[in-house]
Amino acid sequence: MGQEFVLLISASVFCVGTAGFIIRKNPLIMFMSVELMLNSVNFLLVTYSSFLNSLDGQIFALFIMTVAAAEVVVGLAIILTIFRTRQDMDVDHIDVLKG
Amino acid sequence: MLEIATVFDFAHDSVIFIVGMTAVLASLGVVLCSSPIYCALYLIGHMICLALLFLLYNAEFLAVVQIIVYAGAVMILFMFIIALLGGKKEIQENSFHRAMALTFVFTLLGELYLSATVGQTEPIKGDIPPELFGTAKAIGLELFSKHIVAFELASCLLLVAAVGVICLAKFSFAPLRRRVR
Repeated sequence: MGQEFVLLISASVFCVGTAGFIIRKNPLIMFMSVELMLNSVNFLLVTYSSFLNSLDGQIFALFIMTVAAAEVVVGLAIILTIFRTRQDMDVDHIDVLKG
Repeated sequence: MLEIATVFDFAHDSVIFIVGMTAVLASLGVVLCSSPIYCALYLIGHMICLALLFLLYNAEFLAVVQIIVYAGAVMILFMFIIALLGGKKEIQENSFHRAMALTFVFTLLGELYLSATVGQTEPIKGDIPPELFGTAKAIGLELFSKHIVAFELASCLLLVAAVGVICLAKFSFAPLRRRVR
């Protein structure tokens, strides 16, 4: 399969993830949309490392996975803490820091 | 008369096409489902499709890592959080957000079109032997020779994340009082 197909798949998954991050109001699903975006970029890096016969893309994808795992762990802990202090799961209602 | 190589190429291409389309449909399912548990299940399907695509593009080590780290660890974490918080459905009514999302998506696609029509560029060529490409050995050699500093920094990052989560989870916070409006 050519590079155009890979670019198309990756771009469409990235766009779906972006749209989901903007549209949805549940913080869990917003996190899942962020995962979608990271995964689409990972896919592009891995396929281009295969096209160009160089392993740098795969190493980069590995580091992206590490950062994504750390980010998910901390983010879910923050979501849990917010939910514990106020029994509400809508990001539009979390406006205590607003001036 | 059909050559066996062309038949194999066609089968390879059609498998990549089908798995890629499934990945896109699963990502649509993540965004469009209203209940978080279905979103998580669609996301697991998306991860598995991506792992299959990694395998089809000769990245076997990353395919295994994708299954173990993403479809295993991260999604189990999501499942636990959903089980703790309760998967409530959400009501969609905000059309301003929808318009903003559409604008953003079309801007991204336009930028992609512009960057695709820029013309010929010079690709970087690597020199990995093809029988070693994508294996754990090759990735380990690269990781521990060229990228050792980044590797150690990533381990520090994971340690900091673990300590931060323990700090967040251990100390209990007093319930927040709502402001009087």
